[in-house]
Amino acid sequence: MTAALLALADSRLPAGGHTHSGGVEQAIAAGIVGDPRSLEGFLRRRLETSGAVAGGLAAAACRAVTEAEAVPDGGLARVLVALDAEADARTPSPALRAAARQQGRGLVRVGRRAWPHPVWDALPGHPHHPVALGVAAAAGDLTARDAAAAAAYLAITGPATAAQRLLAMDPITVATVTARLGPDVDAVAADALARTGQGGATATVSGDHRTEVTGAVSWAPAGAAVGTWLPADTDPLMDLLAEVHTARGDRYFAS
Amino acid sequence: MRTLVEVVARPGPGGRTVLPVVRASGQLAVRRTGPTTVHLVATAFGPLGGDDAEIRLVVEEGARLSVRTVAAAVVLPARGESPASVQRVLAEVAGELDLQPEPTVVTAGAQHRALLHAVLADGARLTATEQVQLGRTGEEPGRWTGTTRVERAGLPVLHTTVGLGPGAPAWLPPVAPRAYASTVHLGAAGTREVGDDAVRLPLVDGWVATAWGDRLIPTLTRLAALDRVTHDPALLEDAR
Repeated sequence: MTAALLALADSRLPAGGHTHSGGVEQAIAAGIVGDPRSLEGFLRRRLETSGAVAGGLAAAACRAVTEAEAVPDGGLARVLVALDAEADARTPSPALRAAARQQGRGLVRVGRRAWPHPVWDALPGHPHHPVALGVAAAAGDLTARDAAAAAAYLAITGPATAAQRLLAMDPITVATVTARLGPDVDAVAADALARTGQGGATATVSGDHRTEVTGAVSWAPAGAAVGTWLPADTDPLMDLLAEVHTARGDRYFAS
Repeated sequence: MRTLVEVVARPGPGGRTVLPVVRASGQLAVRRTGPTTVHLVATAFGPLGGDDAEIRLVVEEGARLSVRTVAAAVVLPARGESPASVQRVLAEVAGELDLQPEPTVVTAGAQHRALLHAVLADGARLTATEQVQLGRTGEEPGRWTGTTRVERAGLPVLHTTVGLGPGAPAWLPPVAPRAYASTVHLGAAGTREVGDDAVRLPLVDGWVATAWGDRLIPTLTRLAALDRVTHDPALLEDAR
């Protein structure tokens, strides 16, 4: 079902992503992005933070759907609500929360029609985009790995396209910068997938706090609910840029 | 070296707070320095790469606990390829916890990983600060990774991981600060504020404020401009 993955990650999917710049509009205004080199730094920074977080949430949501199908117990909606709360906790910026929910709603609108599936009804209203993306992947018969890859990839292609438009950059250069980050996108997706655990989306997990802070595995503490120790990497600079951006009256992009 | 600290704060007679459990082993000692205040005292050099410290705090409903340290923690690398030093603060709060340690200085070649996991009951109050300087004067920066997870009444309120220092992909030039300070507060709402390399974000019945820069003191000044209430004891009393 690779075609569904290509469609999900396609910027032409009318989910409304094109109205968001992924922070790059304000980064340009602040003088942080202005050429291909600084754009690459910005994209890498975004990939390793919001890309990793989105990858973890999307993979966990996709896995929750897949496992609920195997063992239907009516708990799927509860797990998706819990993941949406985890997304909120990882997105303290009100501007970024609003952007994530707007894009989630846009994806649900097109996803429901494109990949009809009863699982769409298990989503909370106005879900965070990564949670909706995980459900869309499952509805399209994709895997959690696909969901993580699409989330990580979209974390950089949105701002890359926006930067190209705002700076009138050479499209081939921007495509090259994006393609060069391919191995990093794969690595972030693989790590995010690993951190969704193997224990089952509705089951509890074991482990302890030590694993979280020493690095390798991320689950803590014994009995923690799914989603607890998914990637939470954040970049306070992006929060600041988003909050400054949302107060501007002269912006082209919604975020 | 493994360090374990345990403090339990419980409401006592006459509205006072008693500390039925005060235990420390390894590199930290605990001294009660006020009616509701304890200081953690480093009893050894470091922390060094590979050291592991766990601080368990329980503040029962109706009790208050303030936790301070007496000096900055200077994280030093172990010989050779230094593993990270680790500090975990695990807090269960139904009363009020105020956690404001002195800065952590991460020297060249050292790595430090900090975790604050606070589980709050409905109505609990929390103030927790973090102050980090990478490298001493004229020295290359070390690496610091800090994770904060706050849950209240079973729901996650805040869960973030910040990575600083060379190789931390989320902190690339041109914005690669060597100083970082953050305060999370729950128990009183705070508005969204933006400043110079500083931002405060509202949480449900709380807020988180963050500032960064080259040196810690100016960074703290910019953070304080965002969250005056926390850094000014008089204002803090007014807010109660």
